Amino acid sequence: MIYKLSKDNLNNLLGVWNKQQQLLVPYGQKDNVMLLPWNGDEPQLDYINLALPVKEFLFEQKEALFSWEKKDGTFEVNNEAGTGVEKKILFGIRACDTYGVFYTDRFYLGEFEDTNYRARRDATTVVALNCLTSGKNCFCSSQGVGPFSKAGHDLVLTELEDCYLVESATDKGDRLIAWGHDYLRRHEAQALSAEKKDELEQKVKEGFQVQLDLSNIGEELSKTFDADFWEEEAHACISCTGCTSVCPTCTCFNVVEEVEGDAGRRVRYWDSCQSAHFTRNAGDHNPRSNVSRARYRIYDKLKYIEERFGYKGCTGCGRCIATCPTNISILKIIERIQEAAKKPDAKLLVSQITEIAYQRPENDIAMHKSLYMPDVATITKMVDETPDIKRFFLEYDDKELHKNFKFKGQFFEISVFGVGEVAISIPFGPSQRDHFDFCIKKVGSVTEKLHAMQPGDKVGLRGPFGKSFPYEEIKGRDILVVGSGVGLAPVRTMIVQIMENREEFGKIVIMASALHDYGLVLTDDLEEWSKIPGVVVKYSLKYPSDEIDAYTGYINDLLPDLGLAWQNTTAVICASPRRIKKVSKDLLALGMKGTDILTTLETHMRCGSGKCGHCKVGSHYMCVDGPVYNYEEMLNMPPEF
Amino acid sequence: MVATRVFEAKEKGASLYVVDPRRIRLAEFADEYAEIEPGTNLAFVNALIHIIIEEDLYDHKFVAERVENFEAVKESVKDCTAKWAEEITNIPAETIENIARGFAGADKGSVLYAMGITQHKTGTKNVASLANLVMITGNVGREGTGLNPLRGQNNVQGACDLGALPNVLPGYQKAVDPATKEKYGKVWGDFSCFDGNKIPEMFDRIDEGKMKALYVMGENPVLSDPDQQHVMHCLEKVDFMVVQDIFLSETAQYADVVLPGASFLEKDGSFTNTERRAQLIHKALEPIGESKPDWLILAELMQMFGYEGSYENPSAVMDEINTLVPQYGGITYERIQDVGLQWPCPNLDHPGTQYLHKDKFIRGKGLMTVTPYEEPGEQADEEYPLIMTTGRVHHHYHTGTMTREVWTLDREYPGGFVEINKADAEKMGLWDHQMVKISSRRGSITAKAVITDNIKEGVVFMSFHFAESPVNKLTSQVVDPVTKIPEYKVTAVRIEVA
Repeated sequence: MIYKLSKDNLNNLLGVWNKQQQLLVPYGQKDNVMLLPWNGDEPQLDYINLALPVKEFLFEQKEALFSWEKKDGTFEVNNEAGTGVEKKILFGIRACDTYGVFYTDRFYLGEFEDTNYRARRDATTVVALNCLTSGKNCFCSSQGVGPFSKAGHDLVLTELEDCYLVESATDKGDRLIAWGHDYLRRHEAQALSAEKKDELEQKVKEGFQVQLDLSNIGEELSKTFDADFWEEEAHACISCTGCTSVCPTCTCFNVVEEVEGDAGRRVRYWDSCQSAHFTRNAGDHNPRSNVSRARYRIYDKLKYIEERFGYKGCTGCGRCIATCPTNISILKIIERIQEAAKKPDAKLLVSQITEIAYQRPENDIAMHKSLYMPDVATITKMVDETPDIKRFFLEYDDKELHKNFKFKGQFFEISVFGVGEVAISIPFGPSQRDHFDFCIKKVGSVTEKLHAMQPGDKVGLRGPFGKSFPYEEIKGRDILVVGSGVGLAPVRTMIVQIMENREEFGKIVIMASALHDYGLVLTDDLEEWSKIPGVVVKYSLKYPSDEIDAYTGYINDLLPDLGLAWQNTTAVICASPRRIKKVSKDLLALGMKGTDILTTLETHMRCGSGKCGHCKVGSHYMCVDGPVYNYEEMLNMPPEF
Repeated sequence: MVATRVFEAKEKGASLYVVDPRRIRLAEFADEYAEIEPGTNLAFVNALIHIIIEEDLYDHKFVAERVENFEAVKESVKDCTAKWAEEITNIPAETIENIARGFAGADKGSVLYAMGITQHKTGTKNVASLANLVMITGNVGREGTGLNPLRGQNNVQGACDLGALPNVLPGYQKAVDPATKEKYGKVWGDFSCFDGNKIPEMFDRIDEGKMKALYVMGENPVLSDPDQQHVMHCLEKVDFMVVQDIFLSETAQYADVVLPGASFLEKDGSFTNTERRAQLIHKALEPIGESKPDWLILAELMQMFGYEGSYENPSAVMDEINTLVPQYGGITYERIQDVGLQWPCPNLDHPGTQYLHKDKFIRGKGLMTVTPYEEPGEQADEEYPLIMTTGRVHHHYHTGTMTREVWTLDREYPGGFVEINKADAEKMGLWDHQMVKISSRRGSITAKAVITDNIKEGVVFMSFHFAESPVNKLTSQVVDPVTKIPEYKVTAVRIEVA
């Protein structure tokens, strides 16, 4: 249904809406037009676009996820999603930004609903104002998302010579129409005005200064990941993160602990893949360089998001171009990509061929209260495994959680209230229901604090998350387990399940390696397992030991003599990506298939639900799709983990 | 912000020459990049001037009409050939020649510089030599030209304009000039007026027992001043010390009284930026806790000291500035609501001054200065074989008082580091991110080694943002004799595994 609004009545209509809910409209000049509370003055209608996308109203730059308070020796945890959220109407949003909302709705609400986003989204009504002109960096029409808003709005206005056409797309839009009935009337010529609108959009499209053919950009990107021009186009980046701050589809965040006395909050802030630390590991290893960081943003916007969600990851608003202090331009880069892809030697790269039509993982995430809220658990026992690795035994304070616990996934997020949260692999099997245990190595501030704790102390638990080892699928096969240092812990979960059903598997070899004998973990377990018939446990150390009967050298040397039926063997490797590759190469040479070599790639997993963006590699979220992958899948990912 | 304009100019076809011992990001875009030995700026600039004169590339008309002392300068650089400069600066003679010819050939040439020029024993002479360069090429007083010092702070220009210097009153009016005292006396009443001490001299006076009290505003000398041991010793020694700052800095730890200041977001007022443009700022938040805007703290103190006048708001302060500071005569709050005004702006009808020295230098003719090359204060030797130069990183500001409070900035550079050339690191057997000990003739600190191609062999780079790796424990007390700016850019050091 199309309604008609006379131009003189626009401000009156805004006044009526403002009586119902807080109304924000464009005010300001030129490049500095912003959404500000309507104050009775006519809004600014002469602007190419708002300085910032509407994202900031739905996904705040800073917002609290939960608060906690230490009370009587335990912690009370409260959800902060929705705190202080008020109903708002946003007027004057351009098509590139309404599409941004359309995408962020999918991203945050599609699976593993983000409770904070949900609260703000439900309270927000988006009124689009279709563009009649375009700016020098605008390319929404080339992306197929504009210049007229098609999605993401509740109500849309199109300015014609004598009036505005007003159309509702949702219940919220219908409500705005109802509130404004004094000024809105049903258009007498519905079909004709729709036709007029299409004609107008066509005219606006033709007026765009930037006209690109992006129909094949995915394939073009697949051919140019290693192209020479990246160095030239991207090396100037100084990690100011301006591009991601102004992007309507950027959704990454980082969490920070705020503490005051015996209480605190976990808050999230916008984060950016363009900052060096986004992917920097403890130990200063960074899988992305200055250039690959800038390249990742372009791939994410033009390829990865679309591969994963089927939505455009770039809406063509052009803000990142205008905001970059070093003149990095996605338009210039698109030109270079398309040029380079035409070269005869440009070939599709295996690491850039991903066909992910997003599937909801079989395992839902257990959300007891909200996605980001931990449940309080008590440390019941702590055991020293090595000088810097301890095994922690934990129980939920709410025993119902144990009763209802469904064994799945590959890791938990363990919180130390006021300090932070770390991802820790599940080393136990499904039969262990009344308590959990975790092997934790002291590497950073959270794990240091954990190591300093005592039985009886409280922590927070979220999870389980991720895809686990395919225990059922490997029944009947020989099994080789390779665990380097603490790497044995994530594999323990599978070993336990195998041992409990020993008769369903063939020969089993477990290889534990470390630099020194005191670096070996789960030694008691290993000794127990070695007593089971058909199970062989081997140790290898870099430095010789008198304590333990171990091979001195790489485990690779031992592989050929293990006597496994390689065609019928499944290998599980837990080590650094570099070690995984070295061992896998030898296994392939022995006749194994890449799909039979399993590994877990635990990089930067934070939120556990594919939201915070830190563990994204190509189109994959390690925390949701992984961290367990087979070797072939691992090689098919961009080399950035 | 300035680099953005440089990129824009590049896109319009400008040539860019970058001179820096570090291969800074901008160097990647340069037509010529000169990897200069720290402390040898004068040799480089004098060679440019030599080549430009020798090859007759200078602006004869400008030199004849606008400049004096040309002949003396010409004579002084007659032996400063590119080959000679190559020996000293380690920049290939060809590069020096290309830069000289390119700069002289440009219809508009602009020199942008920052602390790499001033923080030397020869800081004043370095600036004078660059002034010689822009004068002989006629690059003064026109759009897109000039000698442009890039300010490290949003309001360092404004602070200097309004007398935050030891020898002048607001408007650069000499303190020792009786006329100045008379003029200000009419408004302020009787007050003492003499040449004060520059910062390094203040610490010396304290050490000598001649200075008893110290009032530090928005400055963190414990980290930012050279020879940290000496500074800390003096701060401990001084009888009474006040620190006014927005955070409790390392320096504030020594204070007897701390006056919490309000941040820029919490106050009204004006800042004057690097192009002499006074602009308004508007309060967005109420001051947090007990903090107050700096102007109010000062106004209240003045009253406690018995000053009879009072200021109601920053605008009232500006009213007084209008009457006392000739350059700001016409810069009123009403007039700078929008984009501000550039001084000199002597009266209400004056539109402000976009370019200084447009048709005439303030002193009449431009005075060229003879600036012969001098060696830096410290040389590398067997014991301290490397030259350390100091500077900044994008994500931190000065001593980190503010930026280290921001997780997202601190995360990018969470601690001290020392950039070392690959070849040097190999010789020392260092690996990337290894903790190393850096020692100079004054002391030792530790930091993470960052091995890179982006720094000259024999030179290491550190930044002064990090209290845990306080670079100024290493720097020397060598200063420029005129301005007393410390020679932060040249310190001989030794590096070992920590």
